[in-house]
This record gives sequence, C-alpha cells and structure tokens, in this order.
Amino acid sequence: MKKGIKKITAFMMLALAFGSCSKYLDINESPNGAVEPPISGLLAHSTYATAYTTFDVSNITSYYAQYLASSGPGSDLDTYNDIDASSTWSYIYDAMTDMNRMRGIAISKNLAAYVAVADILTAYNLSITTNLWGDIPYSEAFQGVTNFLPKYDDQKTIYDSCLLLLNRSITTLGDPSLDGQIPASADFIHGGNIAAWVKTAYLIKARLLNEISKQPEYDPAAVLAALANSYTSNDDDAQVTQFDGNGPWVQVAYNNSVLLLDGWLSAYFVNATNETIYGNYDPRLPAITDPTESGDYQGTVNGAGRTGSGTSHGECYLMLDKWYSIPGSPLQIATYVEAKFMESEAQFRSGNKTEAYAAYLDGITANMKKLNLADSSITRYTTLPSVAVGAANLTLALIMKEKYIGCFLMPVTWDDMRRIDYAYPDFTLPVDSHLPSFIRRVNYPAVEISTNGANVPNVELTDHLWWDK
Amino acid sequence: MKIALMLPGILFSGLLLFARAPIQDLRKTIIPFEINHASLKQAFQKIETATHLYFSFKTNDVLRYVDINYSSPGISVEKLLNDLLAGTDLGYQQLENNIIIKKNVLQISAPALMQADLSVLDFEGGIRGKVTNEKGEPIAGASVSVEGHVNGVAADVNGSFTINGLKAGKYHVHVSAVGYVMETQEVTLTENGNAEIYFQLKLSANNLSDVVVTALGISRSVRSLGYSSQEISAKELTQAHQNNFLNSLQGRVAGMTISSAGGGPGQGVSVVIRGVNSLNPGKSNEPLYVVDGIPVDNGSSTMTLGTTGARGVQMANRVSDINPDDIESVNILRGGAATALYGLRGANGVIVITTKYAKAGKLVVNYNASYSIDQGDKFPEVQGTYTQGYEGEYTPDSFWPDWGPTIPDAKLIDPTHPDKLYDQYKHAYVTGNQFRNTLSLQGGNDKASLSGSISYFDQNGVLPFTYYKNISTRLSGRWTFSDQLSAGADVLFTHTNGNFYDADRFNEEMSYWAPRWDVRDYINPDGTEKQYPAYNGNAWYKAKTNQFISDVYHTIASGYATYKPLTWFTATYRFGVDQFSDNRSATAPGPQGLPGEVIDEDNAYGFVGKYNINNRSVNSNLLLTFDHTFGKFQTTLRVGNDLLDQQTETVSTRGDTLDVYNLFLLSNAKKITTATNSLTQYRIVGLYGELPVNYDQFLYLSVTGRNDWTSTLEAANRSFFYSSASLGWIFTQNINNLPKWLTYGKFRTSLAGIGKDAAPYSTSTVYIPMQNDPNNPTQPINGQIQWTLDNRGGVSNLKPEYTTTFELGTDLSFIDNRIALNFTWYKSNSKDQIIPVATSPTSGFTSLTLNAGEIQNSGIEVTINAKPVLTRDFNWTVGLNFSHNTNEVISLYQGLQEIVVGSQFGYSRSSVTMKYIPGESVGDIFGTPISRYYAKPDTDPLHVNKSLPVLIGDDGFPELEPETNQKILGNAYPKWIAGIANTLTYKNFSLYFLFDGHFDVQKYDQLNNFMAAFGIAKYTENRNTSITFQGVHEDGTPNVNNPVYLGQGVGPDGKDYGAGYYRNRYRGASENFVEDASFIKLRTLSLTYNLEQKWLNKTFIKAASVGFTGINLWMHTNYVGFDPESSSSPANSNLNGLAGFTYPALKSYLFSLNVTF
Repeated sequence: MKKGIKKITAFMMLALAFGSCSKYLDINESPNGAVEPPISGLLAHSTYATAYTTFDVSNITSYYAQYLASSGPGSDLDTYNDIDASSTWSYIYDAMTDMNRMRGIAISKNLAAYVAVADILTAYNLSITTNLWGDIPYSEAFQGVTNFLPKYDDQKTIYDSCLLLLNRSITTLGDPSLDGQIPASADFIHGGNIAAWVKTAYLIKARLLNEISKQPEYDPAAVLAALANSYTSNDDDAQVTQFDGNGPWVQVAYNNSVLLLDGWLSAYFVNATNETIYGNYDPRLPAITDPTESGDYQGTVNGAGRTGSGTSHGECYLMLDKWYSIPGSPLQIATYVEAKFMESEAQFRSGNKTEAYAAYLDGITANMKKLNLADSSITRYTTLPSVAVGAANLTLALIMKEKYIGCFLMPVTWDDMRRIDYAYPDFTLPVDSHLPSFIRRVNYPAVEISTNGANVPNVELTDHLWWDK
Repeated sequence: MKIALMLPGILFSGLLLFARAPIQDLRKTIIPFEINHASLKQAFQKIETATHLYFSFKTNDVLRYVDINYSSPGISVEKLLNDLLAGTDLGYQQLENNIIIKKNVLQISAPALMQADLSVLDFEGGIRGKVTNEKGEPIAGASVSVEGHVNGVAADVNGSFTINGLKAGKYHVHVSAVGYVMETQEVTLTENGNAEIYFQLKLSANNLSDVVVTALGISRSVRSLGYSSQEISAKELTQAHQNNFLNSLQGRVAGMTISSAGGGPGQGVSVVIRGVNSLNPGKSNEPLYVVDGIPVDNGSSTMTLGTTGARGVQMANRVSDINPDDIESVNILRGGAATALYGLRGANGVIVITTKYAKAGKLVVNYNASYSIDQGDKFPEVQGTYTQGYEGEYTPDSFWPDWGPTIPDAKLIDPTHPDKLYDQYKHAYVTGNQFRNTLSLQGGNDKASLSGSISYFDQNGVLPFTYYKNISTRLSGRWTFSDQLSAGADVLFTHTNGNFYDADRFNEEMSYWAPRWDVRDYINPDGTEKQYPAYNGNAWYKAKTNQFISDVYHTIASGYATYKPLTWFTATYRFGVDQFSDNRSATAPGPQGLPGEVIDEDNAYGFVGKYNINNRSVNSNLLLTFDHTFGKFQTTLRVGNDLLDQQTETVSTRGDTLDVYNLFLLSNAKKITTATNSLTQYRIVGLYGELPVNYDQFLYLSVTGRNDWTSTLEAANRSFFYSSASLGWIFTQNINNLPKWLTYGKFRTSLAGIGKDAAPYSTSTVYIPMQNDPNNPTQPINGQIQWTLDNRGGVSNLKPEYTTTFELGTDLSFIDNRIALNFTWYKSNSKDQIIPVATSPTSGFTSLTLNAGEIQNSGIEVTINAKPVLTRDFNWTVGLNFSHNTNEVISLYQGLQEIVVGSQFGYSRSSVTMKYIPGESVGDIFGTPISRYYAKPDTDPLHVNKSLPVLIGDDGFPELEPETNQKILGNAYPKWIAGIANTLTYKNFSLYFLFDGHFDVQKYDQLNNFMAAFGIAKYTENRNTSITFQGVHEDGTPNVNNPVYLGQGVGPDGKDYGAGYYRNRYRGASENFVEDASFIKLRTLSLTYNLEQKWLNKTFIKAASVGFTGINLWMHTNYVGFDPESSSSPANSNLNGLAGFTYPALKSYLFSLNVTF
C-alpha cells in the first residue's frame, strides 16, 4: 500500500513537472516577421506604394474626369452610383501606416531625411485621399489597439496638416548634411536625391494652395512662390518607373488584351483630342492609343458601355505599346507639366496674362516632349490658331483644357473639374446618371462603415467638399 | 526453466487477494502427467488439480472415452490436450482459464433445447448456466461474473458457462455482452451444491453497445453518462461504402451537419456539431478528431500557389487518410460535459475514432474489394434552343455562347452547325470510378496479438484528368506482460497522391463556352490548345495541362502502456505522433512558339511551383485512475496530464516563364515570383480530473475540472481553469408502478464550461517583407526588399474565451427495448470570443485580435430506434434522427457594427456577402433584394418581407434595391437536419437504405448567376416572349396589361430592350440566386448477401459476402446549380453559404466483395 502511494506520488510529480515548465510555453513571438525592419525597407515600400495609391485614386477619378469609361453599360462608377472604394481606402491607409512607422523609427534613430520624406509622402497621400472623401481620419489615425475607432478630421484641418508637414520637411531638408542619408535603391521616386524631394514638397504645397481657389484665403502669389522653388523640367518629375512585373496601367492594358475588359478611353477624352470638340487633332492621341478597326478614334460614352462585342477593336483603349501603358512607362505622381499649368492658372488669376500664356505653352511643350513627340508635331500643334491664341485671348478654360490633356490619368484633374464647376466644353453627365448634377465627392467605403461606422460622416454624392464650396 | 519463470508470477498473483488469476498459456503450462486406464473425464480432473484450469463439458460427450494411458515427466497442457483428444470427435477452446470441451461439429442450440441441454450437463459444484439472446440464440463470449468473486468467465460458443469453487451462500451473478443490457440474477448455493441459471439478454437501447468510448479513450457504460453520446459501429460505417468515412456519417448523427464540398477525388468534408461556436470567420468550427487516443490534425491547407481559383477547395482533409475499413467504431461527443476532458480543443465537439485491433484467437484474414462507377448526381438544366451569338444574331466568332438565334436559323447561315447543342455542363464531365482493395489480418493469443491491414484506393474523378490514389497501411499490437502491465501500439501510414483541378474554374469556363462546340475536342496534334474562332479557354485543355498535384505522406503512430500495481489504481500513459508532409506542385506548360498558337490565359508563359507543408503534432497523456467503493457509492477518480506540441512549417517557391515550355524545373523558370517560408508553433499543457460517482447503479454524478496552460497567451493570462458536472438518473430503477411498456428510462443533465485560447502569434505584431503580403506579394526590385507592417496587429492582453453549455435530456426505451428514444436539449453561450476583428484600416491594422462578442446556440436532438419486426428469418430495424439548431450573435465589440466573413462575386450588383450582425444568425447571406412596395421608407434594413408585392418600375420591369441596401436573403446553416435509416434482413440478405435531408437552408448559387447572364439556364428559353410582371407601381397601382419583351434588342413593340431582361435586370438581384438549398436524398441503398455457411464449410473460407451499394441515387431539391450541399469554400471554412460553381456530387454504383479466411 505504501509502495503504491509512492508510485502514485511519483506519477503526480511527473505530471506537475510537465505543467509547470513555463519556458516551454514562451514561444509566441512570431518567427514570420521582424519586430524592427530595416528603415530603408519601409522607405522602399512607402515610395513604391505611393505609385499604387496614385493609381488606385486615379482609377476612380479618371472615370469622373471622363478620361476612361467602362466597357459595360451602367457601371456604378461611370453613372455616379455609390461605389465601394474599400480596397483603395485600405491600401492608402496601409501605406500611410508604414510612413507613420518609418517616421517613428527615423526619429528614434535621428535620421532626419527619413522623417522629412515620410512627411512629404504622408502629405501627398492625405491630399489625394481628402480630395475624394473630404473629412478623413488623421489626428487619431495609426494608433492600433489604443484607438481603432479614430475620429474624422475636417478637410480644412487635413489641408492645414499637410501644409505643416510640407513646410517642416522643406526646412529639415535644407540641411546639406542630410545628402546621402537615403540610399538610392530604397527610394523609388527620387533615387535618394534630397534636392528633388524639396522640389516635390514645394510642388505638392503649390497644388494644395492652388486647389483652394474657391476659398477666400486663396493666394495666387503663394502658389507662385511655392512653384518658384519647384520643378524646372520634366526631369524633376516625381514618378515611379520600376515595378515588380507590370506597372499598374500596363497591367490594365494587359488585362484588356486578354479580354478582361479595362482601360477603355472615354468618348469625352477622345473627342477632346480628335477634333470633335476643339476642331483639331492632338498629336498626343496616337501616343496614347491606336485608331479603331474603322480607322478613326472613338471613345466609349460613360454609362452607355461599348457599342461593339468587346472582342473586336471597335473603340479605343489603353494599349501595351503606347506611352502610358507600355512596359516601363512611368506612374506619374507630380509633374513639371502640372507645375506649368498651375503657374499659368495662378498668373492668369493674378491678371498676368503674358506670364500665364508663356507657362501655358511651356506646359503643352513639356508634356509633348515627355510623350516623345517629334519637335515638328509639337511646333505644328503649338502654332495652331486654336492653341496659340496669344496672351490676350488666353482663357482659364483653355488653360484647363490643356491641363486636362497634359495631366492625363492624374487624380488632380478631377479636383480641377470641381474647382471650375465642370466648365469644360461639351462635358456632359454620363448616360443613365444616378445624379441630376455632376458628382462632387465619393461616398465612404464599406470597410469604414463596417468597422468605424459611428465616426463616418453622412454624405451625399452631390455634397461639395470644403474647398469646393 | 519455464516453470521457474512462471512461479514468481503465480505466487505474486496469489498474494494479491483481489487480482484475478492470470490467464494460463497452455503452451507454457508444463505439468508432469501420468494416468493408467483412466477415463477422459478423470484425465481432465487430473489436469484441473495440477493447474488453475477448469474444464467444462457435456458428460454424454466424454462418456465413451475410457481406458486412457499416458505418461510424461513434463508436457505442455496444449500438447497434452491435443494428444488426449486425438482420435475423438472432440475439440477444445480456451476461454480465460476455462477449457471448454465440445464436439467438433457445432450445432447451434435452439432455445427449446435449452432445458434439455442443461439437464445433461454434469455438475461438479458451482454455478452453471446458459446465456442467450431474446430469440434464444446463444451469446458466445458473454461475460459472466459473480459479485465478490474475482474469477469471471466467458460463455462458450453454445452460450454455456461454468463457475466452480463457490462456497455455500447467496450470489449475484452478472451477465453482460456487447450490445445487450446487463442482467443480474440471484442464486443460492448449498454446500457442494449446484445451481443452474438461464439468462436471456435483451438488446440494449439504441442497438448500441452497452459500453461506449468516451473522452480520452475511457470506456464507460452508456447508463452512467449524464450527457448524450452516439456511437456508429464499423458495420454501420461500411454499409455506406464511402471513401471518406465522414460521408458515411451523413444522416446518421443527430446534431451534426456534414457537407461534402463536392464529389472531387479525395475532396474534403465539412463537419459542424451543434452549430457554429466561434465568431472568428477564419477559425474552423470543425470538431476535434481523436484516433486511438491521439488528436489528429484535420487541417486542409488551401494554398494553391497562384493557380487559378479556389483549387484548395478540392483538397482532402487529413482524417480522410484513414481507411474506412480500418475503423472499429466512431463516437460523437457533443456538448461541453462530454468533451470537457479534451479541454479547449474539444470545444467544437469530438469525434473519437477507434481503429480495429486484434483479439485473442485464431488468425483471421479478411479481404475486401469494392468497385464503383461514378457520375455527377445533378447537373444544372440548360436551354437547348438558342445558339452562339448576341441579340439573336448568329456570330460563331463572338464571345457570347447562348444569346444567338435558334438552331434551325443558325443552320441556314452555317451548315456545319450541329443539330443539337451539347449539354454544356453534363457533356464536360465524364464517368469516374473508384476501386478499393483492403487485406487485413489479425490474430494472437492472450499474451500478444497483432493486426494489420493494407489497402489501395484509386479514384478517377468525374472532372476529366482528376484523380486521387492512396495506399494505407495499419499495424496494431496489444501485449499483456503480466497482470500489472499491458501495452499497445498502433501505426497508421498513408501515402496519397492526387491531381486537383479547380471545379470553379472548370464550370466558369464552361459557362463561357458556346455549346455549339464540343469541349472534348480540346487538343491539336502538336499539343496546343484547340478552340473555336472566338478564343474562349477550353476547360478540358486547362484541366489536362494546368495541374496541381498534392503528394502526402501521413503517419499517425501511438503507443500506450497500462500499469496496475494495485487493484484500485491504474496508470495509463499514452504517447502519439501525428505527422504529415504535403508536397504540392503546380505546373502548366508555356507556349511552344508555334505559328497561330494561342497562349492560354491560365497557363500564360508556363509556370512551376513547389509548396511543402510539414506538420507534426506530439501528444502525451498520462491518466491515473483510482477506484473505490463506499457502501452503495462506487467512485472512480481520474486525474491526468495532457500535452500537445504542434509545429507546421511551409516553404513555397514559384517561378514562371519557362525556357523549355514543358520542363517543370524551378531552374527552367526565368522568373522566381514567390519564395517564402513560415513556421507556426503551438503548445498546450493541461491537468485534468474526473470524478464519477455511482450510487446503487441508478444515480450517476460526474464532475470534471481542467486547467490549461497555453503558449498563445501572455504569461499572465496563460493559465485557465474550467469545470463541468453531469447527472444521470435511471428512474426506472427506483420508481415503482411505472407502466410496463416503459422498459428503461434515464434523465440526464449537465453544465459545462470550456476555456479557449487564441491562435498562435495573436499577441505579436511584426513587419513582413512584401513578398509575404498575401494581397499584394511584391518581389524585391534591384535587390531592395520592401517591408510593411503586418496588417494583423497583435494584442498583448488577450484573455481566454469561455463557453458554457447546458444540456437536458432523456433516454427512454419501450416495449422490451423494441423502441428507444433519446432526446436532448442544449444551449451554449460563448463569451469573450477571441476574434481577429476587422478594424478600420485607418487604425494602422485591418485586423486586431480582440476579446469581442458573444454567440449563442441552442437546439434539440432526437434519435429514435425501433425494431418493428424481429423474427428468426426476417428483421427490420429503423433508426431516425433529427435535430434543430438556432444560433444568434448576441453582441460584438463595442462600436463594431459587423464582422464580415467573406463575399462572392455576382454579375451587375448581385455580389453577396456573409457577415455577422448582432441579433442575427451566423451564416446569414446578404445580397441585393428585389424592391418591394411599401418598403420605402425602409423600416427594416436587414430583412426582406417577401409577402409584399414587387415594385415594378416605369419600364415595366421589377425594380432592384441599390447595392448599398443589401439585406439578409438566406442562411447557410440548415435549421433542420434529419435522417432515417432502415435495415431489413431476410435470412442471408440484408437491405439497408438511408434517406437524409437538410431543411430551411439557403445558398448563393453563383453558377445560376452566370447562367442568367449568359442565357444558359433553361428558364431563359422564354427570352423571346413578352410578359407583364406581377407587382405594383410606385403609386400603388397594380401593374396590369403592361407587357415587356424579355429578349435582347428591339422587341415586338418596337422598343429597344438592349441586353435583355436576364442581363439587364434578372442577374442583378442576388435574391434570384440565394436559393433554397434544402434537399432529401436517398443517400445510401445497400444490398448485401452473405454466402450460405454450409457452402463454405468444406473450404478454407470462413465467411463471404457480396453487395451492391448505390450512393445518391435519388434527390429532391429546388436548387438550380450542382448539388445543393456543395460549396466553393474549403471543407473547414465558415464561408459555406457561397456555392460558386462547385464540383458535382457523385452518384455511385458500387459493388463489393468481402471474404474472411
């Protein structure tokens, strides 16, 4: 009996030995990631992802700006129905979270250039986000489990925050000792060139100041002052050219080539460049697409869908051998062309028509050069009576028309459209529009309503954003 | 030498008063033996005095053998008996320490002969008797014991038994046998007197064995349980002849939803017991599978290496590696009290699988073969009138497969057009087959026994080029070293190999395929893809060339040792390893560069991918058992320790753009697009205890407690305790004056808690390289790796979640057990659920694992077993079960509106989403409804009131709600499940048939959405008619005399209807495609014939049977797509409401042969 008790006790001890070994259970640090990543890796992703945030936003605004049209009839996007841009929203905030974390690590390691670039990229991404949705989370964003129901900041606060971030970055990057801090390979936008980042910061600042043209605080002189420190040629452009596989617009053209219909040009854009609206052919059109099987350029009317079967070349679309969608083509984030048209607009609004006209022509020329057009084509176009109207006859509409073509596929165009209340010649509502008037904003995405519903403002698609009022 | 070895053993057993005498091995029991001119009976008596053996025989049998002479200084009893019986017509059989002498040709005694038999028995003192069933047939092997005495005996083949060596007094004799109710009789013995007893045992209620395997392999009598338990025997399993044994459980178990995702070769099966318990959309609600005491991973990784679609859906789950022929029994443990000892891993119920093990006896060899012919059981109905084209115009080079003119019209333009269209889907599938061969052996003696089996299974799928093969072997040994020590070991090894093509992709391609062309004509002589002028991918070519092969080696090995040093103390230690490696490869050839060759969009430039999963789980379990009896209280205390150590490692590499177009080497790929690996480790240690108390065999109380320590929570929250209590009261034993027809009645109730931990790494936050970003994998550019914060954020202070289950039930049997009824009501609540909650991306994470939300399940389960006819030649038994479960999401985390589980594409705006909303049910499917009158302003944003009239728009067509106003259109979990199984036996024939059904269940039929969009569905044949839709206009006026044209283009009224009703309107309403997926199936029909024993007597064959089984021979359903059970989600997914295109379920005609040697 005693022996038995001893045996039992021994078994119990053995059992407890298993149960009490706490080191045995200390295995819950994930081996499938790094607690602290290389900061250059975060920069690489922040710059690379900004190409995609731009593309994702553009893939919405390009339909509202009628650069593109859906090949099927009545698509929600074309016809101003509610859309769910959850993936775009998620992708942008995912990218901004990495910028936010990069900033934190950079501060702790005293890497000022990284802090500044994180701020510039954040300002840019906030600006394209707020221009779709208006009020968005920022001051309470990126806090993880401490606050996963962040409140929304009003758009003016967002604009002010962006300007603050940009001004601070410009100051920081003025320190010449920062040169070389950012490795070229980790910077997909400017290859580690600090001076180029300063120019980009000024360009985005100019854009923000320009976009408030409807507001009383609008100051064209401030726009011009910012532009003075910004880009001086196409070489300064903020753009991404290296991609893993196809760049985003290249992928669109590829998908279309394998019958996943996408990247169809809107009838409005085609008509604006094929003499239908302005009476002259724009030499940039053949750089963007090929004529249809009937030998002419035809776009698809937004909302109406294609007229052909979809498998024949009855309409124009982005193509794999054209400038915007050829493998290796750049994804443009901010350009010298845009800077020139902003300059033209600011000078125009300041009453300086001569300077406005010069910038207008420079913008056209720079854009055509970027698209590798022959000088003869450029000269022919820039001397057309309808284009070379002379400083005295320059109108805001003409500047905006050229900016529309020069900033093809860029999100800023839809901002311009709302600022000038869609005053583009012949610009009409899509077929079967769900709204009685032009669309002014995007509804909040389902992901946000589902996960942060209490904070999401109630909006209508006809509501004007703060700067659009 | 041998005697010297035996002696200590005998002495030791003698010292232990209550130990039962060791069973003597006749070969090893050596005795000196000398007799002269003695009778056989005297010889037996002499052996009895020299050994611990007892002889029983009929005096008449041995009477004539006299005058025997024999002399040996030492001879084994075995040899001695053989010598003594040589030349007689007698043989012997050892049953424990009883030697039963019997005539070599056995006559089954008829009950009428019973008394006569006994009268001729020669009594030598003690108790003798006979055990029969209700029909009077002997129950061989019935266990007979005398209360207060150690030596139990087993009845012989005639059902007879003898217990000698009893002093005068009163005795209680207990007789029990598997499948029968235990019976006790009292006898009084005088000094040297004899007593005769006749036991006629009743079949136990449920026709189940009296003893069931419960948690941790503990066998407990059914009567002692305070919770419901259901066992399915090997016989019942094999009747169904399903390759995956889980399919054999369909329709048989109350409270268990079993759905095959489809009939793909080796395809997994989804099992949910008593509803979904977890709100975590990514968490499996599968029960725990325990094979021979070892929990087995039933994971089914769906990683498909970037091959198209959800090919992982077809993957096998790992318990299907178990050969159904190897299974002895399957026990289903439902509810907290039943599974408490398994701890958190048993929270979704436990399926305890016991494989066959050898019993002492002669070598038995069994051969089993089956062959089946398989077809898809149901194909969607397609229209056969309109051919390729659009707006009624014949365009053989257009994409549109079915919007063209009628066949005669097309033939006028194209004389090569066939007279009939191919039946799009049906024609794409072939006849499959399955072939299984199993050879098993078992044998041994009371010291050691061994059994083993080997089986080969080969299936060719009904989807062309898909196959699944497996070789499985099993070895199982049992050893008894002494009275104190015994041990056993089981090893299962399986190698499977299968090619899984994506049925979703296949059927999608078939939806684009113009049925004017033959899809089976798929390949050119040079091996390139053959298509018709409008390039549409050929589904057959893709299935042939785009391969995804999974090659799995799976081993489950376990061993145990039981040590019983004291009569009241037993220690059992069990150790097991479950290991599998799944080596998957995805390959497709690139273009050959031939002129005119089309690059297949799925194969692109050719690719090769390798994906290896290595998974191993180690289990250790120590169980100490203490028995004690205090007066009328009988108790057993069990305490134990349980440990699980699990590790999964995956490596994945994929390259594309092949240099040599059909050489599938990674080094032949110009680009490596994926190169990742990951590791997951999980450990849990538990201490548990169970104390069942039995008062006077009618009141049973059991309490359990368990503490777990998990590796997945922070140290402060790592340890958690939970407990359960259950009570069973057999009221028929102590309430008098109950009606006579109530044979047995038990009331049971239980309350149980179960704590649960988190998934590994839920508490840690890391940065990952972009190559590992599941949504957006990005390879390094110029050597620069991009890093991103993982979207899944860890939360350090997670605490365990807690589930409480309350259960009430009764087991009743009536009219001498002819009818048995089990009824259970249960309710379970899971609180503080650990859920990866989808969070606002603005927080920096799209998912944070939080303690969030509560879910409640409640329901009833009923099983009824009846034996309407029981005669000597003809028997009929019926088993009926049904169950009902309701489920409610009680709450979510404060501020959280919903949890999205997932969604599936639908054309126009008909995409559907499954999500959880407080107050609603798990499994709800949200989609775009058809607008209804008075529904604006909408007072109920979640539900559709289908009784309201449909709102007809100004255009005369039904209006649809906007996509932003999605409502609940159905629920993917059946509210009712029922099954009815009948077994009819007539002499050697046995007929079995099982109907089962799921009721009040809906699924999103994505295939139907496509069939509407492309004019494939049968109902689109009315496209060239004009009708007036029923409903009302916005102003409330009925829509009358307002015909609209359903077709495309300009209608008879001159209006342009564009793409037509089906494309413009019908396909945009999810409501049209969230369909009633209720069904009734004739799941199994099986006819077996056992060969007449007399034909086999002179052969080496002991028994043989042949059978035919039909699976899914008949079904009633309103569902439009393939089988209503099918799903496009993998077997353990919670997205089962999305049916996609799915693999058809199988209708099988199976022939089987079973021979025992």
